Amino acid sequence: MSAAPALPAAPARLDSGAMSGTRVAMLLLVPIALVNAVGFLWPVVNLLKMSFRESQATGALLDTYSLATWSAVLQDSFNLELITNSVGVSLFITLLTLLASYPIALYLHRSSGLWKTILLVLVIAPLLTSAVVRTYGWIAILSSRGLVANALMFFGMANPPRLMFNLTGVVIGLTEILMPYMILALLSGFGRLDPKFEEAALTLGATPMKTFWRVVVPLTLPGMALGCLLCFVLAISSFVTPKLLSGGRVFLLATEIYDQAIVTLNWPLAATLSMIVLVLFGIALVIYTRALRAIV
Amino acid sequence: MIHTGPHEMSGLAQGEGFLSLRGLTRTYGTFTAVDNLTLDVPKGELVAFLGPSGCGKTTSLRMIAGLVPSSSGHIVVNGQDITAVPPYRRDMGLVFQSYALFPHMDVARNVAFGLEMRKVPKAEVEQRVRAAIAMVHLTGKENHRPAQMSGGQQQRVALARALVVQPSILLLDEPLSNLDAKLRDEMRNEIRDIQKRLGITAIFVTHDQMEALTICDKVVVMNHGRLEQMGTPLEIYEHPKTAFVAGFVGRINRMAGTAAGGLVPIGGIQIAAQGFHGPVEVMVRPHRLALTVGDVPAAAGHYALGGTVARTTFAGDILEYEVDAGGMRLTTEAATRGGETVLAPGTAVTLSWRPQDTYIYPAAP
Repeated sequence: MSAAPALPAAPARLDSGAMSGTRVAMLLLVPIALVNAVGFLWPVVNLLKMSFRESQATGALLDTYSLATWSAVLQDSFNLELITNSVGVSLFITLLTLLASYPIALYLHRSSGLWKTILLVLVIAPLLTSAVVRTYGWIAILSSRGLVANALMFFGMANPPRLMFNLTGVVIGLTEILMPYMILALLSGFGRLDPKFEEAALTLGATPMKTFWRVVVPLTLPGMALGCLLCFVLAISSFVTPKLLSGGRVFLLATEIYDQAIVTLNWPLAATLSMIVLVLFGIALVIYTRALRAIV
Repeated sequence: MIHTGPHEMSGLAQGEGFLSLRGLTRTYGTFTAVDNLTLDVPKGELVAFLGPSGCGKTTSLRMIAGLVPSSSGHIVVNGQDITAVPPYRRDMGLVFQSYALFPHMDVARNVAFGLEMRKVPKAEVEQRVRAAIAMVHLTGKENHRPAQMSGGQQQRVALARALVVQPSILLLDEPLSNLDAKLRDEMRNEIRDIQKRLGITAIFVTHDQMEALTICDKVVVMNHGRLEQMGTPLEIYEHPKTAFVAGFVGRINRMAGTAAGGLVPIGGIQIAAQGFHGPVEVMVRPHRLALTVGDVPAAAGHYALGGTVARTTFAGDILEYEVDAGGMRLTTEAATRGGETVLAPGTAVTLSWRPQDTYIYPAAP
């Protein structure tokens, strides 16, 4: 979480010009380092402190510190389930987003000219509206009197399946909301995918299916890794969509943190859960860099 | 004498080819990239598709490989029409201009790819990959990634990868154009050696006439999607059938004139042009023009034009003069032998050449 990566000292053989270059780089990094220290590092430190604070049952904070909240969280089966549930749901959403986005990204990568621009704008357009608006859009579609339910009833289904206020709704909504991010991440990682490689595979006797699995997929793994990291992080920290589409029936880390901080006013617990989310981010980042090193 | 007779196609009667193209055509909208291409490639020969960029040579190759569908016409290999066969069942080895080595695989896995697709047993794959890598002199580099290798080495890997599956036809798409001059000569000869040793039928697409003439058994000259002439390098160079072939393969002097009564008056002399009427182009290659100092009468049966040196270029191995003669500027060149005097511009000279070195074509409308 360090803001400014430490720059290695310039080797002795470099001339003074390079030395001053390093110094200029350091100097240029000072503003962003300051912003990060004040806007990110300081609040995180405060959050960490808060997670060790003791509180009364009423929620009133005491001035003493202990491991009470942490041990309570890590021993409470509800909280442990909350964590594993959140990770599981986020992974599932990430996978679904990847499957839904990959063909679109591949098609976009292969199209060109005006058509590509139009498609790209269509992909990015959802990002111009807030997730809240899009979530309400999904409510209109998924609710018990929504578009899907009405359509199913019109075609004779007496009891259409419940698509909202449960995990299904959260998964559907988040998958769609995360797709633009996934598509853009995939596209940025498709740089190595040249049609020449696919042609080479075809002439070497690989069927289109084999070509896809042996050439296209390996060459697009960096994009997939980036997209999955991004979507996992966004999914596990998303709050508005699960809150609105779960109807309080699905318990995820982000919504639970909100409840603890705003409703129950158990700030140490909210802080502890937040720190756990931060640890999960760190783990995801480590896995991502490991994976990237393995596939490139 | 005019060498535009039909004998250039000698030994290439229809249907004799291992690979035969029949009326192969590819159109993109109103643009015809390849126009009614019909030719036969005999078994075991290296045939060049030669032409300027955009002449349809690469499109033809890609149609043979199956990567571009043909608009009409047929591709026949060994008596079998493969026009509708997908590329992965065509059994052709293609070497790309940009090599197209799989960047996520090392050399050994790149070479093994085609064998794995053919479900060759593991032990055999290993042994054949080793042999193919040895053939292109890259033993010891099996575990290198393409990005770690030079252009020449990558080209060798591409060649090994295409050949290891023992394809029926080897297709080479401008394989040398991304290499520097010295490496190009080396790889050119190496490709020829390997092709001869394996006795494989191969097509070599190039825009470089030197490559086509020096290593290929036959040359197919293409222009605007059409076949201009097919023949041995000697036939193509000595007996170009069209003005385009004469101008594209080797250097040439062009003289415009109008034929009447079997003669073309050019620069004050009469050039025999049996059977031509109206505007024609008379062509002579620079090194077939003999240059003599002073005003010398023509030797018996030779054409001779008096003129003055306009420009002198000494290129070490070759001495080149541009001469103003008969209202035209003609180029002549001769190999230097040492000791000759380099003529100054303004020197009066005579250019002479033999009638059989004269090419005459109807002028383009």
